[in-house]
Amino acid sequence: MKEIAKVINVSKVYKTGDTTISALNPSSVSFYAGELVLIIGPSGSGKTTLLSILGCVTYPTGGEVYINGTEVSSLPESQLGKIRLENIGFVFQGYNLIAPLNALQNVMLPLELMNVPAKEAKEKAILALKKVTMEDRMKNLPRALSGGQQQRVAIARALVSNPSLILCDEPTASLDPSSVDIVMGELKSLVSANKCVVIVTHDMRLRPYADRIVYVDNGNVLTEEPKSEYAH
Amino acid sequence: MSIFKTALRFIKYDKAKSIGVTSGILISTFLIGQQLGILDYLMALMAAPIDNAKAQIWVADSRTRDANQLAVIDIKKLREVRSVSGVKEAFPLVVSVASATVDKGRTSSITLIGIESPHFNGGPPSDKIIEGRLENLQMDQAICADFFDEKVFEVPIKVGTQMEINGKKAIVAVQTKGVRGFGFGFMYTTIERARYYSNLSPNDLNAILVNVNEGADIDEVVANINATVYGVKAYKTEDLRSSTISTVIGTTGIASSTGTLIIFALIAGFFIIGLTMYSSALDRIKDYGTLKAIGASNNYIRKLILIQAVLFAVIGYMLAFVLLQGFKAGVAGTGLLVNYRLDVLIGIFVVIVTISVIAATFALRRIKGVEPASVFRG
Ligand SMILES: Nc1ncnc2c1ncn2[C@@H]1O[C@H](COP(=O)(O)OP(=O)(O)OP(=O)(O)O)[C@@H](O)[C@H]1O
Ligand SMILES: [Mg+2]
Repeated sequence: MKEIAKVINVSKVYKTGDTTISALNPSSVSFYAGELVLIIGPSGSGKTTLLSILGCVTYPTGGEVYINGTEVSSLPESQLGKIRLENIGFVFQGYNLIAPLNALQNVMLPLELMNVPAKEAKEKAILALKKVTMEDRMKNLPRALSGGQQQRVAIARALVSNPSLILCDEPTASLDPSSVDIVMGELKSLVSANKCVVIVTHDMRLRPYADRIVYVDNGNVLTEEPKSEYAH
Repeated sequence: MSIFKTALRFIKYDKAKSIGVTSGILISTFLIGQQLGILDYLMALMAAPIDNAKAQIWVADSRTRDANQLAVIDIKKLREVRSVSGVKEAFPLVVSVASATVDKGRTSSITLIGIESPHFNGGPPSDKIIEGRLENLQMDQAICADFFDEKVFEVPIKVGTQMEINGKKAIVAVQTKGVRGFGFGFMYTTIERARYYSNLSPNDLNAILVNVNEGADIDEVVANINATVYGVKAYKTEDLRSSTISTVIGTTGIASSTGTLIIFALIAGFFIIGLTMYSSALDRIKDYGTLKAIGASNNYIRKLILIQAVLFAVIGYMLAFVLLQGFKAGVAGTGLLVNYRLDVLIGIFVVIVTISVIAATFALRRIKGVEPASVFRG
């Protein structure tokens, strides 16, 4: 299996004023193509911190981060933007569609940032919207779409540039059960296209979709389920 | 979808704030354009004695800085000037301030200009004569008055209107439209009658207008006159024109009142534009954060904001331009001939785009501080 992302001894300490919070203790974990990994743990345990380090939006305090073989923790922000654009798709709890842009324009955005010609970008975006069955709403602004529909557009935006890693932070937290099934079905289908999908969640309904579960407990990353309320 | 279209969508989406920014630009542009348009008109009035006379060289008292205030010189100078080499023709002008009273109307100060017949050089521009001919000035008591003098005297001024100038009878025989100076209206008559109304002696003049021989160098002729005729000074028309304008502007406070208004319009515009764009950027802060997280470079974000700023400036400027044309048309009927010079219009555009772009830096700095990781914090 191809290794897509890897963190080695990665840690994160947040300093705010006199208080320092150790959000992540030195941890190592790898993620591979063709798997859907859930990151599960209690609130404040460091899940989002781990995800944002994997997503190259947060610098680790220590350790190394590899994305498709490139060590990124020492790269400047200007280069990280490019790494994100080319390797990573993001799906957020709050959907984070760009409010003034319609569904199609939102999905075209990563391609536009990669300087893909407009015509080609449009074709690819429509294809991505078809995958999440949102092509008939492509002229709608986000505010005209339901939460589930917005999240499907967000998934289309995350996959349109064909990234190898899709990172999702609580993608289903604001969705009703039927939308959860649709959204998870779509994320799962990416795995069969040999993507690596990493999902941070509290949501026990997602367990059946997981190929593997990584647990985060009090800043520690564990591959075995800790003795806790997270057991079935 | 280009970054340009994206910027346009951002503008369209926040309608209220976009209208706010555009209004700020529109108001500033309009105020500045209006002030400079009026100033241009006032400057034309200041220079009216010179522009109307159409000569290449002016000869006047050696202390003259302002063609609206000419001291008396002796008629002997006219003959001396005529004999200077390079001078093709020279003709006298009497210019004095007089008091005119119209029958059943009011009394007002006027600038009375005496011109030599039968050539009437130095008289009003022929395209501004709306009734009668300058030859009519040879009739008894004949003067030339302006259509817009009606505003001052509060009775219609037409050919045939009777009035008194410095208590002596006069009758309108020629009428102009739009011939006036800065402050006073212009009335023309023959040079002899002008001396009579103003109690000047037959040897008195106020200026000598000179045209040079074909092929002669104007600067050279000016130098010749200055070298050979004493007690007077020759000016290239352009030089006297600019010194007249700067003297009048300097002594009236017009420059400081126009300047103050423009500076306030710029400052007010700057803050309206800056703060509204800032507040609009705050509304969209989540979107800018998302753009960064996805991988938009700082350069892309900067462009997105600056394109919006320039679009606001262009739209606001165009609206102001329409409004300025409306203002010009609206006041034209009152004789206020506002004029927007092309270089002034271009200058205002450049200034407005510049202040919009500078004002956008408030928003830019705020957005620069957004961390891409913020997208995970809801
Ligand atoms: N930017 C930050 N500055 C300071 N402290 C932070 C920051 N981000 C996270 N933390 C702290 O780090 C710890 C881990 O936070 P993190 O967001 O990773 O938890 P989480 O597992 O995602 O929690 P939740 O399930 O509630 O989203 C928490 O104590 C949090 O308060
Ligand atoms: Mg979290």
